[in-house]
Amino acid sequence: MTTDKRFLVALAALALVACVTGRSTLRGGLPEERVAKYPPNVQEAYRLFAARCSRCHTLSRPLNAQIDDFSHWVAYVERMRHHAGSGISKADGEKILVFLKHYLEEENPSQRTAPDSAGGASGSEAAP
Amino acid sequence: MKKLLPLLLVTLLPATASAYEIERNFAGSAQLDYLAVPTSVNGRNFTFDGFTTELAVKLAVDFTENFSANVKICYGCHGFETDMAYVDMRVADQLNFRVGRMNPAFGDFLLRHDPANHRANSKPLPYDMGRMLRRNEWNMSIVPAPYVDNGLEVNGTQWFGDDAQLDYAGYVVSGFKGNNDAFDFDFVQSRSGSLYYVDNNSEPAVGGRAALTLNFTDYVNGTFGLSGMYGHYDPAADLEYLILGADVYLRFDALVIRGEYLFRKTEFAVGSNPDERFRYEFDPKKNFFTKDGFYIEAEYPITDYLEVFGRLDGMRRKGNVLASSALRSTSAILRETLGVNIVVQRGLRIKLSGEYWDFSDFANEVAIHTGVTANF
Repeated sequence: MTTDKRFLVALAALALVACVTGRSTLRGGLPEERVAKYPPNVQEAYRLFAARCSRCHTLSRPLNAQIDDFSHWVAYVERMRHHAGSGISKADGEKILVFLKHYLEEENPSQRTAPDSAGGASGSEAAP
Repeated sequence: MKKLLPLLLVTLLPATASAYEIERNFAGSAQLDYLAVPTSVNGRNFTFDGFTTELAVKLAVDFTENFSANVKICYGCHGFETDMAYVDMRVADQLNFRVGRMNPAFGDFLLRHDPANHRANSKPLPYDMGRMLRRNEWNMSIVPAPYVDNGLEVNGTQWFGDDAQLDYAGYVVSGFKGNNDAFDFDFVQSRSGSLYYVDNNSEPAVGGRAALTLNFTDYVNGTFGLSGMYGHYDPAADLEYLILGADVYLRFDALVIRGEYLFRKTEFAVGSNPDERFRYEFDPKKNFFTKDGFYIEAEYPITDYLEVFGRLDGMRRKGNVLASSALRSTSAILRETLGVNIVVQRGLRIKLSGEYWDFSDFANEVAIHTGVTANF
């Protein structure tokens, strides 16, 4: 078998594994069981975060970032949005911030928004 | 340019600067990799086998919403190097000025050349640097990554709705370097402090990139890009080079496929005695060689803790060679790579990969990489 054919077979096998296992966007991010406990809109936001933000780097970069102020995330998503090929539209940016707000509050309970305030952890309008 | 910079600073520093809290972000990565070539008794004769370490720390500071600075210092085979030291001045999404020492926009891989940002232990062949097998015989790759240079880049991004993003970049930089009697680039001159980090021929090189990103759904998207670079690399500015590239990135949920093709045409000095200088009879119309290469790779996370990847890449060189060269007038490399990333914990990975090198001019080799990568 030629090199080209061997590679195509390997690529087809990888695609088959992808179809069979049907794993959603993992890429070194949060464990699936943790994401499954999130509210539906945050789960959806996480999947978009995983899809867009793993374009150039692993998800551990943002997930391990020592950010404890939501306004920093707002500035950072805006910065990343400008990167060539980021694929992060304004609407995507707002959705990604829904997850990041939830994640920030989860990791730093002191940042938790009061239950009656607008744009809480699972609020879909958390983004600027 | 010296006159332009203060003008830009005055123009871009907004009145709201004092009200804007300065954002600082510190990030870094480290990779320790062991390269073994079990098919050869002494791999050191044609590659850097054994341990290599790559470290990088980056500080990004946003002074205002549209004025920021980035500095990235790397430690690798050359010791400490400045990978980035530039300021960004953004007038609008569509118009950003980048000034300083940077990675000029070329291709897709340069965005993620940091070892923590790609799954393989090694770089794709068209971008490989010192760790490719037979690096001296091939004088490395087409554009060894990271390509770092001093200059000015204008870039921007334009969205069409939420599904289409058009990016562009154009730049003037010092360009690649070599001697007046050069046969190819001398990459050491681009990083040698003893020669100063300055232009060698009073003439900037120019380049640019355009890319279109399409979001088909939230989890299916792709980028299609074209890049080019042109300049002279010798002090007399007689020897020209032209580099062209095309790249594609496709994501189908968790499956990512990337591919690039690069082409470089490089003129060489003929010298006073071409019959002695070259191995093959010199044709005055062919005072150049071409080098082209490609890679296609796929990566997929099987579980939360295990990712697999495969890559096929190759490189080809056509044209006359020096009399002492081990290459022929047409030489090629084809490499197959399979590997896994084991995510020990978030930010810490074990990278394992095996490579089969198929050389046209040398014995084929197997290379095995074992690495640990951390990012913070």
